[in-house]
Amino acid sequence: MIQKKICMLGSFAVGKTSLVRRFVESIYSESYQTTVGVKIDKKVVSVDGKEITLVLWDLYGEDDFQKMRWSHFQGASGYLLVADGTRRGTLEKAVALEQKAREEVGPIPFVLVINKSDLVDEWDLDPEMEGRHEAMNWTVLRSSAKTGEGVEEAFLQLTRKMLG
Amino acid sequence: MGSAPQRSPEPFDTRSSMADTPKSRPANESGDDSSPNGSRPLEELRHLILAPEQEALERLNQRIENPESRTEDVSNVVAEAIQRRRTQGGSDALSEALAPTIETALRESVRKDPGTLADALFPVMGPAIRRSILETLRSFLDSFNQIMDQSLSWEGLKWRVEALRTGRPFTEVVLLHSLVFRVEQVFLIHKKTGLPIAHAVAPAVAMQDPSLVSGMLSAIQSFVHDSFHTGQGQGVNRMNVGDLDVWVENGPYAILAAVIRGVGPRALQERMAETLENIHAEYAARLDRFDGDTAPFANIHKELARCLEAKFKEESKPRGYGYAWAAGAVLLALVGGWLGWRWWQYHRWSELAATLGNQPGLTITSFGRERGRFVIHGLRDPLAADPEKFVEDAHLNRTQAEFHWGAYYALDDALVQQRAITELAPPAGVSLSVKDGVLHVEGRPPAKWLNDLRSRGLLIPGIRTLDLGRFTPEQIAFDEAKGKIQVAVVRFPVASAALSSAERANLRNLLPQLKEVLNASVAPHGSVSIEVVGHSDTTGAEETNQNLSQRRADRVAWELIQLGIPDASLHAKGVATGEPVRPEDSEENRQYNRSATLRVITGAAAAP
Repeated sequence: MIQKKICMLGSFAVGKTSLVRRFVESIYSESYQTTVGVKIDKKVVSVDGKEITLVLWDLYGEDDFQKMRWSHFQGASGYLLVADGTRRGTLEKAVALEQKAREEVGPIPFVLVINKSDLVDEWDLDPEMEGRHEAMNWTVLRSSAKTGEGVEEAFLQLTRKMLG
Repeated sequence: MGSAPQRSPEPFDTRSSMADTPKSRPANESGDDSSPNGSRPLEELRHLILAPEQEALERLNQRIENPESRTEDVSNVVAEAIQRRRTQGGSDALSEALAPTIETALRESVRKDPGTLADALFPVMGPAIRRSILETLRSFLDSFNQIMDQSLSWEGLKWRVEALRTGRPFTEVVLLHSLVFRVEQVFLIHKKTGLPIAHAVAPAVAMQDPSLVSGMLSAIQSFVHDSFHTGQGQGVNRMNVGDLDVWVENGPYAILAAVIRGVGPRALQERMAETLENIHAEYAARLDRFDGDTAPFANIHKELARCLEAKFKEESKPRGYGYAWAAGAVLLALVGGWLGWRWWQYHRWSELAATLGNQPGLTITSFGRERGRFVIHGLRDPLAADPEKFVEDAHLNRTQAEFHWGAYYALDDALVQQRAITELAPPAGVSLSVKDGVLHVEGRPPAKWLNDLRSRGLLIPGIRTLDLGRFTPEQIAFDEAKGKIQVAVVRFPVASAALSSAERANLRNLLPQLKEVLNASVAPHGSVSIEVVGHSDTTGAEETNQNLSQRRADRVAWELIQLGIPDASLHAKGVATGEPVRPEDSEENRQYNRSATLRVITGAAAAP
């Protein structure tokens, strides 16, 4: 059995937990997140005929990411960097989080997910912002935890990256 | 090792290698020497000085380039090399390197001829299978004994009630009460990633997903670590929730967590520490490199399973297999009781069959048990007693048995008598009795009924003889004549013994009967005579009446003599009012007492 620990990173209320909830069946209530700082879920995905068990660590993110428990980030094989398309600031925060993550554990695979694609009319992003990240060789995806769009794809892309 | 032959032999090239050695600095063949003319002597000089080394190097070079000799060289040291590697402690890497080759070799061997490997494994497999079966049986016996223990004891009953009351499964209630401790689950968790490497769970324990539990446990570890700034290698060692304890043992690369129900002993903690040390000793390198693939750690499960200890309360121990025996004894007693009950039922029904067989009109031909029911075959006279009544009186369960009766006529006297009474309907005053097949008649049967009896009596089953000796035609004629004579009343006027012509005619009418009676010579009667009795009414003096009644008797006797009755056969007496014909309660009845009557006297009494 192959297992991978992956983390959800992102500012407050960008929809990390909703994305996870879209993706897995959970046994823990979300109150764990506020007490221990993390909620753990599991999902078995199949990539290129291989079964991979993803253990998702949904970290409790406050807007001031300094307060995030980075110790929970240790040992992660990859992470989903989540931003909210309707709030420009969350994308900037994502860039900062990526940098901090690199400092903590070194360069590991990640995928940038711009959430709330169902509200694309209310998006507060410059068109070139997404392109800029792609130019930095980032994988950028749009998703909607509400409609489910791009959620599975984001996790699968991350898994492929982790498997090299 | 495998890439060595492809490499160019450069490092062993004598010229280039020699070029680096400052000790010998010969000019190389490329000819960049400053004096080209002096090359020949130099060559010779070099040959003179270096010839033996050059040759040795040449030989060495050839040996290395020749695969055959190289194979030989390696074959001389390969075993020692492996051995040395093992003693150096790097056996992990060695096993890892050899494992795929050995696996392929084994697969290939099985593919070619499964027999070879089977033969090799044969001596191992027998004992292994035996041991496994033995283990299974032992654990089955233990749990059986435990269940018996709990099911049969007073406590067991209490726990059942508790289980019913609380709605919890019985096994859980038993565990709660009889368990000192039990290690329900053991997790080996990779410290850095929080991913489960191995997981062992005790039988019949509801388990959660190991990935999630492991993750949460390590999250809690790091949470506590962060919150209280504990030192390296320190963390949560114990968590307690209700009946459950979680014990955590920290290692450099992995943590061992055990979920324990009840109160675990100190020895368990030592065992956990020991287990974790063993695991680290053997797998340290692989634990360090762990990338989420648990395949290399498949064998750790056995190690963890050894920690799944359990201990139950002492009291049940000394009993050993007592309850299994007790259960056996109870079973035996039940079977015995059942057999006994069956026997008792059989006994009672066979007694009933015997009783029925003794009843007149009932005959039992067979008695037995078929398909769990008693079956009684027999013959029954229609007049016999009702068998159902006997079943009822014996308080037996009627549904247990079935009767099959055939009809027949019984020859018992009682039944034959009853049958005769039913068939012949004797008139009042006549009674019938049967003894040894002979029908006896008592009383005064009318001639017509007797005739009927004569024609049908012997047709009644069981009657062989009719005892009608007393009922001959002569006797009947005698009896009839006697009857007529004795009811006749010869009446006289008041205070007179004069016989009217009408009364005389009446007397004359009785003449045939009188002759019949007097002529009869029926054996038992002997001699026969006629007594004439004179009566008077109650008026008048007694003496007068006596006189009058005597005269009236004499008058009738005289008249009978006149009719031809021999006077020796007659006897006249007056009884006055002594034997009234009718009670004198009316003038008409008084008239009847002014009379004379006749009586037929037989036997000794008839003598004049």
